Amino acid sequence: MLPTTKDTARNTDWRAMTQNCEYAIEVTHLTKRYKGFPAVDDISFTVRKGEVFALLGPNGAGKTTTVEIINTIRKPTSGKVTLLGMDVTKKKYAIIPRIGVLPQGFSSFDRITVKETLQYYSRLFCNPNTDIEELIALVNLKDKVKEQYKNLSGGLKQRLGIAVALVNDPEIVFLDEPTTGLDPRARREVWKVMLGLKKKGKTIFLTTHYMEEAELLADRVAIVAKGKITAMGSPGELIESNADYLVVMLKSVDENVFEIVQKMGFAPVYDSHGYIKIRLDHSDDVRRMLNTIREKGASFTGLDVRKPNLEEVFLKLTDETLQEGSIGITAMPCEHNET
Amino acid sequence: MNLHIINANIIVSIKSFYREKTVVFFRLAFPVILILVFGTIFMERDNEIFNLSIQDLDRTTSSEQLVEAIRLSRRFKITKVSPAVDAQKYAKTNNLNLIVIIPKSFEMSLMQAVLQKGESNNSGTPVSITRLYDPSAFGVSTKTGVLEMVLAGINQEMSGKPPLTLIVSEPVSILKKKYRFIEFFVPGIIAMAVMTASLFGAVNVNAELRQKGVIRKLCTTPITRTDWILSNVLYQFILALLSTVVMLLVSYVVFNVNLEINGWLVVFVALDVFSFVGLGMILTRVAKEAESAAAAADALMFPMMFLSGTFFPVEMMPEFLQKFARVLPLYYVNEGLRAAMVSVDHTAALKCALIIGAFAAVVFVLGIMITTMDGEST
Repeated sequence: MLPTTKDTARNTDWRAMTQNCEYAIEVTHLTKRYKGFPAVDDISFTVRKGEVFALLGPNGAGKTTTVEIINTIRKPTSGKVTLLGMDVTKKKYAIIPRIGVLPQGFSSFDRITVKETLQYYSRLFCNPNTDIEELIALVNLKDKVKEQYKNLSGGLKQRLGIAVALVNDPEIVFLDEPTTGLDPRARREVWKVMLGLKKKGKTIFLTTHYMEEAELLADRVAIVAKGKITAMGSPGELIESNADYLVVMLKSVDENVFEIVQKMGFAPVYDSHGYIKIRLDHSDDVRRMLNTIREKGASFTGLDVRKPNLEEVFLKLTDETLQEGSIGITAMPCEHNET
Repeated sequence: MNLHIINANIIVSIKSFYREKTVVFFRLAFPVILILVFGTIFMERDNEIFNLSIQDLDRTTSSEQLVEAIRLSRRFKITKVSPAVDAQKYAKTNNLNLIVIIPKSFEMSLMQAVLQKGESNNSGTPVSITRLYDPSAFGVSTKTGVLEMVLAGINQEMSGKPPLTLIVSEPVSILKKKYRFIEFFVPGIIAMAVMTASLFGAVNVNAELRQKGVIRKLCTTPITRTDWILSNVLYQFILALLSTVVMLLVSYVVFNVNLEINGWLVVFVALDVFSFVGLGMILTRVAKEAESAAAAADALMFPMMFLSGTFFPVEMMPEFLQKFARVLPLYYVNEGLRAAMVSVDHTAALKCALIIGAFAAVVFVLGIMITTMDGEST
């Protein structure tokens, strides 16, 4: 028989009182300073119940600090954060049973098996109703049930971490960079799990520096750079409101094409595939450029004209380039190619 | 305080422990190996027979009678050294710590001494035999002492007078049971083993788990600081009792130790655990990296092991080190366990328990105060 603790009784009271909150998360003028340096600088936003909200930004932008304040791991320097109507600095032990957290760099006890890990965390939440088998099936770890944690690959560890975050059937799930360091296949496996959670109507708070992850999963995205939110909205809204230009991709074997476009006053750049990428404000400019290239006798083998994607919007808003490093994507100062 | 959470933590800790074979070995087998090795090396044998080399340069009847008399004492196994060899070189080459050299004119000198004694009724000029010894060798002083006793006996016999025995000393032990080195050693090893396991257990658990990010995840669960610390302490206590039982079993079976098992054993094991888990918590907070916390634990542990009377009595050390030993917490655990298990002195055990208990209370409370379960320290 489980002990009836004061906290459990208190949780029941709070759950009833906070049921009618419109917002799952409310952040108001949140600031976090480390020795005077603002890691999070006066940010405000809300997250509705059932929404998938993503904080998107490079390493060092303040995403993890923000999410760790919201999920009660850290304390803010100033500002207010409420989760399900409760102040995170005052009601930590009432909030915890109602949230699930996959922290950045999740790790568990090396010598404990997958099933034992889930049983352990289930016991920490004193939750006898946790269906361990269902959780294992949800994250597709059925054939690894008896495997010790230290023998799991990175992707399997992250999937186990998501399952651990769900042992208490939380109302809000925090996923801090859930696919960082995973290979593309493992990443897609984790996305599948997250899409499953989305279908179940869970409120998900996600932090990521992968654009495609935010575009695929999030209902709304807040772009974070240097501790501040620079833009917020659905991926489509962000693109529409910031995509007042066209992106032209030229595949050419003729070296003259680059020079011709440059002399026209545009700012072409080579991307990682060797395509020439040009940002143009009007469709007329596209026609003019193509005609000029033909008139000069140069040629190209491929052409693509499109609106900018979320990554390009991000680059425009944060004025930064992104480079794949060994530990993830790092923001670096942009070398301007635009006029 | 949530008993289910504490229980869950203890189960995970125990599973992690027995699945790590190296840890099981060092926790359980290593102290047993120490007991077996040191117990065998220092095992006291009643009426021990020593090896003794004798070089008879005289080769007369008298010198041979002297050698025979030494042999008949049944304290020495005699090996004769050839008169042709250099005794000093021979001793070094053959690692001998004592050679008795009977000089060339031994019989003549002995007869003169006997004659002198007969004429003047005085003892006369004694006849010298050389005792070539290695002062750095362990046990040579014991062997020399036995040789002197044997020679005294031979002198007495040669005097022709019955031994004058007006005063004798009768040994009476203050201990109820027989006392050997192993009885001194086992309580010290128990104290040391519990100390190292508790100290490194606390350091490894907290620093390593913090560094790996496990503590960060635990911050998002209902586990409180009290639950976490209590479960670590209880886990260490369970393992300490288990290793103590194993050590005592081996000691009884192999050496037939004469140690009293009473409630003080559990008390001192518990105080040992609390003291060094508390110290471990402090070290973890001060040195955040697992490697530096372990190095700090090493720096504390090794001097304590050798200066607290674990392997040899504190009384063998110089005066200033003896004073230093009395400042070390492990000293009171060692003394307390010996008071409880060897001399069965409850007053002395209580005094040691109060001292180590006060230390345990201070470091444990300090350890709790500075241990955090929030993410600011993760």
